[in-house]
Amino acid sequence: MWATFRHELAHMRGRILGWGLGLGLLGAYFSSVFSSFEAQMAQLRQAMEYFPQELFAFFGLDIASLTPYRFLDVKFFSLMPAILGVFAVGAGTAMLARDEEKGLLDLILAHPVSRKALFFGKALAALVAMVLIVALMWAGLVVGMDRASLQVTPTQMIGPMVSVLAAVVLWWSLGLLLSMLLPSRRMASSAVAFLIVASFFVKGMAELDPDLKGIAKLSPFTYYQGGQAAFGLNVGWIVGLVLPAAAFVLLAWWRFERRDIRVAGEGGWGVALPARMRPARRRPAEARHAV
Amino acid sequence: MENQPAIAIHGLTKSYGKVRALRGIDLEVQQGEIFGFLGPNGAGKTTTIRCALDLIRPDGGSIRVLGINPQADPVAVKARTGYLPGELQLDDNLTGEAQLRFLNELRGRKADWTYVRELAERLDLDLKRPIRNLSKGNKIKVGVIQALMHRPELLMLDEPTFGLDPLMQQEVLRLLVEAKRNGATVFFSSHILSEVQAVAERVGIIRRGKIVEVAGVQTLIHRSMRRVRIQFRHDVDPAPLLQVPGVALLKRDDGRAVTLQVEGEMDGLLKAVAAFPVVDFETERPSLEEIFLAYYEDERNSHKTEE
Repeated sequence: MWATFRHELAHMRGRILGWGLGLGLLGAYFSSVFSSFEAQMAQLRQAMEYFPQELFAFFGLDIASLTPYRFLDVKFFSLMPAILGVFAVGAGTAMLARDEEKGLLDLILAHPVSRKALFFGKALAALVAMVLIVALMWAGLVVGMDRASLQVTPTQMIGPMVSVLAAVVLWWSLGLLLSMLLPSRRMASSAVAFLIVASFFVKGMAELDPDLKGIAKLSPFTYYQGGQAAFGLNVGWIVGLVLPAAAFVLLAWWRFERRDIRVAGEGGWGVALPARMRPARRRPAEARHAV
Repeated sequence: MENQPAIAIHGLTKSYGKVRALRGIDLEVQQGEIFGFLGPNGAGKTTTIRCALDLIRPDGGSIRVLGINPQADPVAVKARTGYLPGELQLDDNLTGEAQLRFLNELRGRKADWTYVRELAERLDLDLKRPIRNLSKGNKIKVGVIQALMHRPELLMLDEPTFGLDPLMQQEVLRLLVEAKRNGATVFFSSHILSEVQAVAERVGIIRRGKIVEVAGVQTLIHRSMRRVRIQFRHDVDPAPLLQVPGVALLKRDDGRAVTLQVEGEMDGLLKAVAAFPVVDFETERPSLEEIFLAYYEDERNSHKTEE
């Protein structure tokens, strides 16, 4: 398991640095900009009253209680599960399906490593990668912020990071599970990306339309505290995000333990369609070779 | 344990949806032998090998590799086996050496690195080059090294020389013979029948998911029909020769030469030929390739019949 873990983490180092430093710089920029808002808060509130209030309600923003930190929360943290979700979906669907589609898994699993060790070695590496990215993002936010203006400490800023991490891990685990269930990695990525966008809008629209509150309970964004976690982490919500993630990981492992490792030509990479809906089939050259 | 087969497969079946890839494979490979696995594309060679390594799960039947059920304890089987996939893929971001070191890590660092360097030298492979810059042939060399580097008890190689130049093909075959000499069992599939004939002691022929023949290479060749060409001193009527059981006329060049096909023992034909003034008498056994093609022709004919 540790050989797989080290290899996978080394493989991800470019992405860890790219995403971590990128989001760290973005965090530093946002926290320094919003730190400087304190002096202009009255004018900002006044200016915002001219905008459609639905725009702010979508993000759960109350102009009366607006602070520089609340700006940071809305502009930075509220979008972070969706932004980091791109990484999470890529990492989740790639974890096994990428190597399988490339044909690398065939060689790796011919070595004395169990599917369990391979699965959890790779999963642990992905989790460590996500923690490192979020840690770099935290470092950027802390470096750029003016504590007095934002009225939060670096320690308090760990709360939102935990909240971001929980949401991102959920998207990663869903990507992983769907990559084990659907015929291709691309299909799994598309499905999770759609769910992220849909969940984001359902949660936002529920702030405008109370009738949507029921369906919004199914959106992971509902249980995402974002910047508000700096003033008290909602452990129940964190558990509500992490528990399904753990269940998705276990289901993905269960599926991986039982399925065939595919190579080109063995099994199908497409969705099983009724015979009359299937396009005329030509066996690819590699398929003829592989069996 | 000593006398048990290295590979024992009984009644192995595997389907991909409606496609029946294996229809009840029965096969035993003895310890310490080189076994060639022959079959046309799509016959089920790769599927059989991948079932034996627990990469895919069979629908029915039993497999024992080195006495172990690969579905129950795949790690134990793989620890003692070296495998070269037919569709070898390597990590393009690594060098040959880094790839081998990673695979060696998965093996618990069991490889002898001096042996790895020796293999790379013999195969004329620069391990420092990134895999993305290697030709297909050089990638296969990396694959051959990873299969051999821990000196496994059993080698399962899917087309090990496919894509190599003739010199390297010979070197890989030498490595297989050396592995056998050191006590390993070698099970390999190939399309190059001359190389199977050169190194394998026994062959199995698979056709449409079933084993149609398992025999020693020499037995297979000797059991098959021979071609006999007889040159006479003057024109003769070959009718008395064709009366001999198992003899058929293939070609009559002129009155002085005939080419016959002989099935079974030669005794009857030799006695019949003794009555004629013979100038030359040549016999020829078919190559493994011709025998294989005969099975393949049967398959094509059965396909036509089904259609």
